Amino acid sequence: MSVLPLDDVAADPSPGRRPRVLRRPGGVFGAAWLVFVLVASLTAPLWQPYEVDAQDLANRLALPSGAHWLGTDPLGRDVLSRIAVAGALPLLSSALMLVVAFGIGLPLALVAAERGRRTERVISRLTEILLALPLIILLLAVIGVIGNRIYPVMAVLGVLLSAAVYRVLLGVAQSVRQRLYVDAARVNGLGSLRVDVLHVLPSMATVVAVQAAQLFGIGLLINAGLAFLGFGPAEPEPSWGFMIQDASKYLFDDPWLMVPTGLVLALTVVAANELADALAGHRAPAGAAGRPSRRRARPAPEPTAAAAGPAATDAAVLRVRGLSVAVEGGPTLVSDVSFALREGTVLGLVGESGCGKTMTARSLLGLLPDGVSVSAGSIGWQGRELTDFRSVRGREIALISQEPMVALDPMFTVAHQLTQPIRRFRRVGRAEARRVAARLLAQVGIVDAERVLKSYPHQLSGGMAQRVCIALALTGEPKLLIADEPTTALDVTVQAEILSLLRQLVRDTGLSIILVSHDLGVVADLCDDVAVMYAGAVVEAGATADVLGAPAHPYTMALLGANPHVPDGEPVPLRLASIAGTVPPPGRWPTGCRFATRCQFVRDTCTEPFGARPAHGSGEVLCVRVDELSRARATWDADAVGAETAPGADPLPPDGGQPPGGSPAPAGPLAAADDHTAGVPR
Amino acid sequence: MAAYLARRLALAIGTVFAAVLITFLLVHAGDGSPGAVKAGPGAEAAEIAAQNHALGWDRPLWAQFADTLGDLARLDFGTSLIDGRDLGADLWARLPVTASIALLATLLSGVLGIVLGVTAAVRGGRLGRVINAGAGVALSLPAFWVGVLLVYLLSLQLGWLPATGYVPFAGDPAGWLQSLLIPILTLTVGGAAIIARTAAVGMREALGQEHVRTLRAMGTPEWRIRYVHALRFASVPVVSVLGIQFIALFGGSVIVENLFALPGLGQASQAAASSHDIPALISVVVVATLVVVVVNLLLDLVVAALDPKVRTA
Repeated sequence: MSVLPLDDVAADPSPGRRPRVLRRPGGVFGAAWLVFVLVASLTAPLWQPYEVDAQDLANRLALPSGAHWLGTDPLGRDVLSRIAVAGALPLLSSALMLVVAFGIGLPLALVAAERGRRTERVISRLTEILLALPLIILLLAVIGVIGNRIYPVMAVLGVLLSAAVYRVLLGVAQSVRQRLYVDAARVNGLGSLRVDVLHVLPSMATVVAVQAAQLFGIGLLINAGLAFLGFGPAEPEPSWGFMIQDASKYLFDDPWLMVPTGLVLALTVVAANELADALAGHRAPAGAAGRPSRRRARPAPEPTAAAAGPAATDAAVLRVRGLSVAVEGGPTLVSDVSFALREGTVLGLVGESGCGKTMTARSLLGLLPDGVSVSAGSIGWQGRELTDFRSVRGREIALISQEPMVALDPMFTVAHQLTQPIRRFRRVGRAEARRVAARLLAQVGIVDAERVLKSYPHQLSGGMAQRVCIALALTGEPKLLIADEPTTALDVTVQAEILSLLRQLVRDTGLSIILVSHDLGVVADLCDDVAVMYAGAVVEAGATADVLGAPAHPYTMALLGANPHVPDGEPVPLRLASIAGTVPPPGRWPTGCRFATRCQFVRDTCTEPFGARPAHGSGEVLCVRVDELSRARATWDADAVGAETAPGADPLPPDGGQPPGGSPAPAGPLAAADDHTAGVPR
Repeated sequence: MAAYLARRLALAIGTVFAAVLITFLLVHAGDGSPGAVKAGPGAEAAEIAAQNHALGWDRPLWAQFADTLGDLARLDFGTSLIDGRDLGADLWARLPVTASIALLATLLSGVLGIVLGVTAAVRGGRLGRVINAGAGVALSLPAFWVGVLLVYLLSLQLGWLPATGYVPFAGDPAGWLQSLLIPILTLTVGGAAIIARTAAVGMREALGQEHVRTLRAMGTPEWRIRYVHALRFASVPVVSVLGIQFIALFGGSVIVENLFALPGLGQASQAAASSHDIPALISVVVVATLVVVVVNLLLDLVVAALDPKVRTA
């Protein structure tokens, strides 16, 4: 979910994953069986109980016994010995096939990924052709020409399958090459071969292993199939395929004969595929993707004490009290969040990525991801407790999401996607629904509504798609819009248009909006109230002008310092501050203040639990030192970025009096920097 | 749309051309010659040379290739070196057998696979794991072994279906279907498993899409989200895999035809391979490639109909 490039790299399948394969039962079985079969068949001459052509005609088609563990064949030959001896050829020739397939496919993929589009096109077209050929019939033609020579035939199969290798590896190679660090390596003057060896090949390791295991299974099947057709080792040499062919002739007299050879072959192929699955981390579907039914049932646990407060205080349409969201059986993602939304106003939820603002917003519609649920708190909607989300979704509360281009179904026209909910919500016919759709599109500022109605999402621009999404959200005439980063994915000019559209909707229709954003500029622009979130908690809330104009919580100060949008009338900071470190992940929140590890003003008292304090009139702030800080007119110090902020090195003057330098005006970052250097350790 | 179809058509023509070229080069790279095959084992070198000359084998390679292309373009497949039969007529008679097995097996694989895969993705839980694991085993089973087991079960034990042999469609359609049912089921075991996995992955991916969340947020009924929106989204990869499956099943029918004594292309290619009958080899590869290519072109049309990105491109 995070868009940080770092996450991308960290999530990359790296070669160091191997042990995990053995943690999966399928992987253990696959690896163990393959090793067992390989060792058993290669060492067969050392231990086989009988010669493969030793006939015992008195003992034909025998069932398993002490003398013949797996029975005997129509000529009285020992099945176990024959299976074991026969194993070497398919295993080794399939391995040869792999070497050929990767020997051709891998370099081709690297070359195609590195050279320009044209090379890639030519190679790709050629491999597409190879893949479209009827493999087995072509192999029979090869056999027709060169005869029953298993190794050359399997090598030819390797050539044909190299097209499949190429296709899979090209995707990997291209995506690795597009990564920043590979570019950086090239800029640093690494030759392309070294880039491949150092960066591209290691990232391919997992994919190569997965595909090799899969192709190995295919090789075994084809090899056995050819032997079944009589294109294997000549009698009396045993082969798995021909033994099954032989057994099929005696199906009526001795069905058992089918079992041992077939099972060994099937188990070996299953083992290869299980190994591939385990390598791919191909988790068996634990929970079905998207079943909202289970989480809907959970009643909101005991409302917190505050919930009993007077309902009369406000015109709040939405009142969230003590909301906590947690991974089931795992860490808490959002804890004890409370806020209220007044009718016809816009409330902003702000914070860095990973602060829980999206989880908070989604819980209002019961649209949390699988395995995540509301663990405490209550959501009061228009004076009643919101439990059945289905009845409000679209009708009363609607959602606008971050990426308009993927929020619409790519397979259906805009008209279909709009008229469907219109007919459901407004109980109108097809023709009327289309008229309503056109009207809604006009309302969100789309001029050529008819053309847009006929379009598919991929034919729309980002801004146009977001307007369609807003129109879609309006189909059920909702009273609340939840807008999750509605402008983040858009061009700057389009952002402004969408924001003004939202403002206009609030003004004209009396909608309320919850705006999730990390952009303080957007919040300052649109929101009446704001709740600043950090590590799953609201750290400061109040009217937007108050909170942004006179931030009380260090985190808000830091955010403002890190934000290039400066509210009117504020001095432009000389340098953009940033906040050292990262948001602590859920499950590793410190006790007391969760911002303490990154705060310039941290003190020992910060690590003890404390409650929210009132601030900004009806708002609140979650900082134990808020009064001291405000007396000191502390500001977040841009120059202290990355500096050690060990507890005790307090940048504030000892008694919370005037800061040194005497200036009572809003202290600039430079003044704060002085404070920091003058800070006396206690 | 036009550009897409032109590209697919070019690929189809390229594939057929490649099949001819590869087989032609293969045949000429081998150390055998048609004269040796025709003259039979133990023939004198002079007789072989005379036969080769009569067949035009000693002419320049490019001239022979041009002739081969010209003949194939006129659908003239030549005659067998072994028994002199007209290969075009022979393959034309065999084509319906193989094509019906492969087509019906592909269709059945598609239906069964989609039902199982969608069930696995939508229901999840234990049922989903069972389907996933079952498909993993089924796609690993050798078709010829499955075929023999089915014969044992359905013919020998239950006596429901004939074990081997082919009944032509004309005159006895019921008998025709009975004679093909075990071969079709045999190929369907592996085919349906692969489609089921593709469909399950596709459905799960579809249900995790952002636009599905939009649909949920709009209060769209769950059945509509699954079976209208997600299924449509998952259908494109499934149809693509069906095309690949058809190629694989067409090849698989070679083995199945051998097992069930069905007079199809597979049997012809096996016979041609073991007798080194060069014109028969070339013609069977070309016909098989043509069938595979035509079916894949049809599936390309289906993809275009399903995917608006393709249709409107």
